[in-house]
Amino acid sequence: MTTNVSGIRRLFTPIRDFFFEEQAPYGMALVRIFLPISIMIPMVRRFMHVRELFSSDGAPQPLYELFGQVNPLPPMAPQIAAALYGMLMIAMFCAVVGWKTRWSFLIATPLYIYFNLLDSVGTMTKYSVIASHVLIMLTLSNCGAVWSVDAILRRKELGAAATAVPPRFPIWQSRLIQLLFSFVYFGAAITKIQTEAFFSGEQMRYWMLSNWNYSNPIGEQMAMWTPVLLLAGYVTVVWEIVFAFLVWRPTSRLFVLAVGVMFHIMTCLTLGLYIFPLVCTSSYLAFITEKDIVALRRFAHKLKIPSSVLGIPPRVVAWIVDQRPAAIPAATLWLSAVVLAAVAAAEIEYRSDAYGIQANNGPLPLPTMDAATAESMIRDQKPLRERDKYFSFDVGTVLMGNQLANRRSEFTYGERIVAQCTLNIPHGDLWVECMIQDDQNRTVEHAGQFVTRDMLHANFAYETGNSLVPGTYSMVLKSSNKEVFRREFTLSGDPEKVPTMNEMMTN
Amino acid sequence: MQLRRWLSGLFIVSYLCCLTWGVTAHSLKYGLQGNTLSYFVVWDMFCGWQAFDNRTHIIAEGRSGQYYDVRPPWGEFTPFGNVPRVHYDVSNNLIPKHITNVLSHTTHEPIARVYVVQEIWAKQYNVPEPLWAKYFDEPRDKTSYFNVRAVLSERGAVLNSYPDWFDQQTLIAVSDNPRLQLAAQRAVPFYNTFIKPSQGAESASRTFQSTQSSELNSN
Repeated sequence: MTTNVSGIRRLFTPIRDFFFEEQAPYGMALVRIFLPISIMIPMVRRFMHVRELFSSDGAPQPLYELFGQVNPLPPMAPQIAAALYGMLMIAMFCAVVGWKTRWSFLIATPLYIYFNLLDSVGTMTKYSVIASHVLIMLTLSNCGAVWSVDAILRRKELGAAATAVPPRFPIWQSRLIQLLFSFVYFGAAITKIQTEAFFSGEQMRYWMLSNWNYSNPIGEQMAMWTPVLLLAGYVTVVWEIVFAFLVWRPTSRLFVLAVGVMFHIMTCLTLGLYIFPLVCTSSYLAFITEKDIVALRRFAHKLKIPSSVLGIPPRVVAWIVDQRPAAIPAATLWLSAVVLAAVAAAEIEYRSDAYGIQANNGPLPLPTMDAATAESMIRDQKPLRERDKYFSFDVGTVLMGNQLANRRSEFTYGERIVAQCTLNIPHGDLWVECMIQDDQNRTVEHAGQFVTRDMLHANFAYETGNSLVPGTYSMVLKSSNKEVFRREFTLSGDPEKVPTMNEMMTN
Repeated sequence: MQLRRWLSGLFIVSYLCCLTWGVTAHSLKYGLQGNTLSYFVVWDMFCGWQAFDNRTHIIAEGRSGQYYDVRPPWGEFTPFGNVPRVHYDVSNNLIPKHITNVLSHTTHEPIARVYVVQEIWAKQYNVPEPLWAKYFDEPRDKTSYFNVRAVLSERGAVLNSYPDWFDQQTLIAVSDNPRLQLAAQRAVPFYNTFIKPSQGAESASRTFQSTQSSELNSN
C-alpha cells in the first residue's frame, strides 16, 4: 500500500515541479510591463469613441448577441461607460509601473474583457482574447513583486532588514501562459488544415490583398508569388504544431521562440497586423526564467547597455508616492488616482461632444447623396464580367505545387511553356480556351478545358517543338468565347536542334 | 498554504480542461454554436478569405425622394486601418443599430426606407499601381458590383432581405445547370395535410374515408 502511494507520488512529482517550482517572477514582471502597453495602444484610440462603441447612447455590438444569447453585460450610460474607461486606463498604467499591482489588475482585467465583449465588430479580436487570458494570469500572479513601485516601497519600508535576494513564488501562472500559447498555435494549425486552399497559397494571397488591416506593402509584393506563400503556409503549420512539443526542451526552446518572434514580425510586415504581434511577443516574455535574467544581465553588462533606465518609471512613481503626507496611506492615494481618472474621463468624454451636437447647436444634418449614384447602386444588375472571374494569367516554365513558379516572356526550343490562369471564386463552370497566335494573329495552337466552379487555377502546357519558327507569338486566354488575356512571348533558337515532331502532336 | 496549493491545482486543471475543450470542439466542429464563451477558447485566426473585396453602403430614401448617405457626419471610427467599423460587420448584426444611431443623432426629413447595399470588386484591383504595371498587362479597369442585401425601416427593422452576393453567384452557377433545373421543377415541395404521424397510422385512412363520405371527392 505504502509502495503504491509513493509510486503515485513519484508519478505526480514532475507535474508538481513543473507548476509549483519556485522562481523570482521576472518573466511575469516583464509581461506585466509590456502587455498592458501593447493592448492599451488600440484602447487609447477608442477613448474618444466610448459613447459610440461602448455606451447605451451609441451602437455597441455585444459578442453575446452574435452567439444568439442574452447579454449579461449590458452597455452603460455614456458618463458611466467613460468613467469606467478612465478607470481601465489608470489601472493599466498602475499595473505597468507595478503600483498596487494586484488591485490594479483586479480593476483592469474585468474592465478590459467587458469593453471588448461590448464591441465584437471593431474591438474584440483574437488578440484581445489572448490578452484577456494573460491578464487573468497576471492578476493571479505575483508579478508586482519585482521591478515595481510596490517592490521599491516595500524595500523602503523594511529599511535595513531588506534583502537583495528577490522574493520567489510558484511559477504556475507563467506555465499556464506558456501552455496557452501551445494551445493557440495548435488550434490555429487545425484551422489552417481545415481551410480549403490554404496549402495552395491562394488564401494567403487574398488575405494579403485585403485592406482590412494596416498597411502591408511587403505582403502585397509577396501576394504575387504564390509558390512562396505555399512554402510559407507549410512552414507555418509545421511550426505551429511542433511548438507545443519543442518549446519545453532546453535545446530547442530558444530556437522555437525565435522562430515565433520572426513569425509574428512577418505577420506584421505581410498582413498588416500590428497589435497581434505585440501582444504575442510581449506574452512570450513569460517564457523567461531566472537563469535567463542572470544571463541577460551579464550580456547587458558586457555590452554596457544601460538596462537600469527601465527602472526609471517605477522609481519616479515611487518617489511621487513617497512625497505624500505621512497621514495619508499609499492605498488612499492610489484609490484617489483611480477616482480622479474616472471623473476626468467622464468630463473629457462629455466635453468632446462625440456627435457634434453642442458645437452645432443641435444634431448635424444627414449627408445627402446624388440620386443617380444612389439609384445605380440600388438597381445594379450587372452580371460578373469574364475578366473578373480571373485573378491573373501568366506564362512560365516551372510548376511548384501546381503553381507557376516563374514568369517568362522568352523561350527557346525544347522548353515546356506553361500557361496558367488563376481564378476568383465564386465563378461558375467555365469552358476556357488557350491559344498560341503568331504576330499576324493567326492561331497556331488551340486547346480548351472545362474549369469547374471549385477550381482555383487551370494550366495549359505546350512543348516548343520544331513546327514553330523563331519569332513573336501571343498566348491568348478566352473565356465564354471572349478574349480575356493576351501575353506576348518570343521564341528563339535553332528549330533543327530538337527532333522533328509528329504532325499529330501538339507543339 | 496547503489550501492555496489545492486551489491553485484546481484552477490549473479547470483551465487546461477549458483549453482542451476549445481545441477539440473546434476540430470536431461540435458544441460551439450559441456558446459565447467558446470564442475565448477557439483559435480560428485564419478562417479563410474571399477573392472579392466587399464594403457595405447604407442609403436612406427620404419621403421626398431625396437620398441620404447613412454615414456618421461626426466622423467614422476606423478600428484596424482605414476601413470604417461598419464594414467589419460580416454577420450584419450591427447594421440596424448603426442606422438607428446615425438617424437618431442627425437632422433629416422623415425616412421612407433604408437600403443596405454590398459593393463587391475583385481583389486584384487592390494591388498598388507599380505592382499592377509589373504583373498585369491589361489596363486597370476596376468594376464594382452592387447588391441590395436588405431594405429596412427608419428604426432599423428589416422589411426585406436578399441573398448575399457570394451566395447569389453560387446559386447562379448551380441554376445554370439544365439537369438540376429540371430536377428542381419535378421535385415540387409540399406539406402533407393528410398523413399526420402524430395521430397514428389510421389518420390517413380516416381522412380519406371522411372525404368519401362527404361526397366531395373530385374523382
